[in-house]
Amino acid sequence: MYLVGEFREQRALESAIRTLRASGIQPADLDLFSEEPVELPRGVLDRTSRMSLVSVLGAIGFGAAATGFVWWSQHDYRLVTGGMPLFSFWATGVITYEMTMLGAIVATFGWFLWESGLVRRRDPSAPVPEVDPGSICLRVRCGADDVAKASETMRRAGATAVARRGEP
Amino acid sequence: MEHRWGMAIDLDRCTGCEACVVACHAENNLPVSSPEQSEKGRTAHWIRVDRYYEGEFPDIKVKYMPVLCQQCDNAPCEPVCPVYATYHNPEGLNVQVYNRCVGTFYCANNCPYSVRFFNWFEPKWPDPLPLQHNPDVAIRPAGVMEKCTFCIQRIQRAKQDAAQEGVPLADGDVQPACVQSCAAEAMVFGDLNDPKSRVSRLAASGRATRLLEELGTKPKVFYLQKAT
Amino acid sequence: MSATPELLPYKRIREDLFRPLSGISRGYLLTTSIAFIVGAAGLAAWGYQLRRGMGVTGLQRPVFWGFYIVDFVFWIGISHAGTLISAILRLTDAAWRKPVTRAAEAITVFALMIGGMFPIIHLGRAWLFYWLVPYPNSRLLWPNFRSPLLWDLTAILTYMTGSVIYLYLPLIPDLAQLAEHNTTWRRRFYRAFSLGWTGSDREWHALERAMKLMACIILAVAVSVHTVVAWDFSMALAPMWHSTIFGPYFVAGAIFSGIAALIVVMATLRKVLHLEMYLTRHHFDRLAKLLLLMSLLWLYFTMAENLTVWYGNEPKEMAVFGARTRAHYARFFWTMVVLNFAIPFVLLGIRRLRTIATATIASACILAGMWLERFVIVVPTLANPRMPSAVSLYTPTWVEVAITSATFAAMVMLYLVFAKLVPIIAVWEFKPHPQEED
Repeated sequence: MYLVGEFREQRALESAIRTLRASGIQPADLDLFSEEPVELPRGVLDRTSRMSLVSVLGAIGFGAAATGFVWWSQHDYRLVTGGMPLFSFWATGVITYEMTMLGAIVATFGWFLWESGLVRRRDPSAPVPEVDPGSICLRVRCGADDVAKASETMRRAGATAVARRGEP
Repeated sequence: MEHRWGMAIDLDRCTGCEACVVACHAENNLPVSSPEQSEKGRTAHWIRVDRYYEGEFPDIKVKYMPVLCQQCDNAPCEPVCPVYATYHNPEGLNVQVYNRCVGTFYCANNCPYSVRFFNWFEPKWPDPLPLQHNPDVAIRPAGVMEKCTFCIQRIQRAKQDAAQEGVPLADGDVQPACVQSCAAEAMVFGDLNDPKSRVSRLAASGRATRLLEELGTKPKVFYLQKAT
Repeated sequence: MSATPELLPYKRIREDLFRPLSGISRGYLLTTSIAFIVGAAGLAAWGYQLRRGMGVTGLQRPVFWGFYIVDFVFWIGISHAGTLISAILRLTDAAWRKPVTRAAEAITVFALMIGGMFPIIHLGRAWLFYWLVPYPNSRLLWPNFRSPLLWDLTAILTYMTGSVIYLYLPLIPDLAQLAEHNTTWRRRFYRAFSLGWTGSDREWHALERAMKLMACIILAVAVSVHTVVAWDFSMALAPMWHSTIFGPYFVAGAIFSGIAALIVVMATLRKVLHLEMYLTRHHFDRLAKLLLLMSLLWLYFTMAENLTVWYGNEPKEMAVFGARTRAHYARFFWTMVVLNFAIPFVLLGIRRLRTIATATIASACILAGMWLERFVIVVPTLANPRMPSAVSLYTPTWVEVAITSATFAAMVMLYLVFAKLVPIIAVWEFKPHPQEED
């Protein structure tokens, strides 16, 4: 089941997260909801991101594919122009560059959609709290036995409201 | 061996009569212009005669120079066409494929000899000129670039005739319309790959120069004039 | 931190920024109608051109590129507004950019959409434009990738994709907000485009990472795009086009005209949407200083290009140089210098004169001057080719003028629609931190 705690102070939120994690709750079971990005110090609730890697791989992949296509198309129907060689990397280098960039762009956007969870199938039972402007909501998923302890932790840390949601 | 078509124009013989211009118009179905369009610079002359004046009256000298597509080996117009409407064929001709042209104008901007012409409107010929059209040459629609082709239709016809008769193509068998019509016999056309052809010998003579040679376009039209 | 002199309560910010989205004022209707009429006239002109042929323009041998190519380079140049403000200032963490980024990114996307039309409009057989795209066809042909026009295609396609994504990403949180504050069709529209954004930290984290990456990528792409557009000219052998300076010259000119466009747009938005609290004197002051810097940089490049040609004294190039600076095109060239340098230097350089109004005037001058700059680059060279017998002049016709005007109308229309759909200032980026709420 889910616990949703509302915090108005970032320091309170941090202390709540730290205590909850110390008591055994996994970062994967913790979610924050806010109307603007919350900057937590390192180590509190880090999320791994593979976006840079995916971006670079997409860039190299697409750029290589595009260059390969240019090479193939210029050999497929051989037409000589202006005394230039049939395939010259420099004559089509701009295409390589732009397609590399396009690969990075598309990969970044696509991975963003995946990593943010926007296009993944959501768990319908997970409640999305309505966030008041200025507050940050912390949603904890825990078993029925840990509910009381987690609830107490959040209240002690400084939550302005704690509510239970979902079936036990 | 493949042919490599070239031309030699003797500037010491050219009288500036422009018979070549008229012949080209007739042979290649060039559209008829009007005084208004001419004033707007819209008239196409695949071969034109440029005039250069030297000196002051009464000691004026005029030089005439027929300028046509130089069929450059390193043609600057070819690599910039995005749709391969102009490319270099194995016989050394800078070919213009009307059907491929989408009208980006880049080839014309890059031609240092200004020999390319555009079809600004659908071509019209007042009656009875359409009856005079050359069936071997396409009528270009509006929006397409065109230029001198070294009368490729005559080259093809000559090659076909020679193949049918089973004889090799002889020097002088192929004559573009301008070469054929020159009254002063100032123009010579032939195979530059054949060292014995007239054009090869003239090109190798001491009188041969090429237009804008310093640009490295490797034009195949040789202008012959007395070195002064 | 926001640069507002006072910290506004969040509710007030949201109200102010969401208010323009509802209701249509008389001014809005009037502007839309005028823009529509001008746009329709341009479309009619284009239809006429397609029907009759390119002869209805003022183009003639040897000036085969005229107004349309000038417009093309001009609009692609304007599109660098967003990249500079959004990407560069985002990467340097300049906080004062926050109220300005979305307006700038919108300019980029719309300018690209408009500029991207011109490679089609200027074609002799425009209905066959898709032949530049590689696809298996019955002609068994692939496009010629060696042509700078193909480089244009790939560069603009990439930049357009990147800019749209770069505009859309920070829009998602605001769209989610708007979905909650609206009803009926608007709610469904916003909800659909917000992709179910809930504001979770995973989403924010991914968004910020994506924005950072996109800022780097879009910067690299923007530099390449205008370089490639410049290379349409540089790669040609035409006198005074075949210049190595064109790449950097055009990029600098693009950023220059982009900032000018941004200032004009911002000043208009500020007046019309009553955003005086958000787009303050400080923003205009900083942008004005950037504009002044770019004006000096533009002058440097222009001088470098012209001085080297004049000193080298090569005959064919001097013919073009003479046409530009002394003969027929001199009126455009020197007007351009006054508009791009003299006026901005005075209005923006003298601190007492640097106000929002004068910055806007200077920017409008610069926009006109930069259009003239493109004209002065494209036409005199073509009008003075290497073969002297082909020298001529160029006079545009009503068709070209109508289509050019229509693009400005199109920009206005696109912006008007945009301002009604989404808040022109990114609410989530602009808000002060939760601790500072009332």
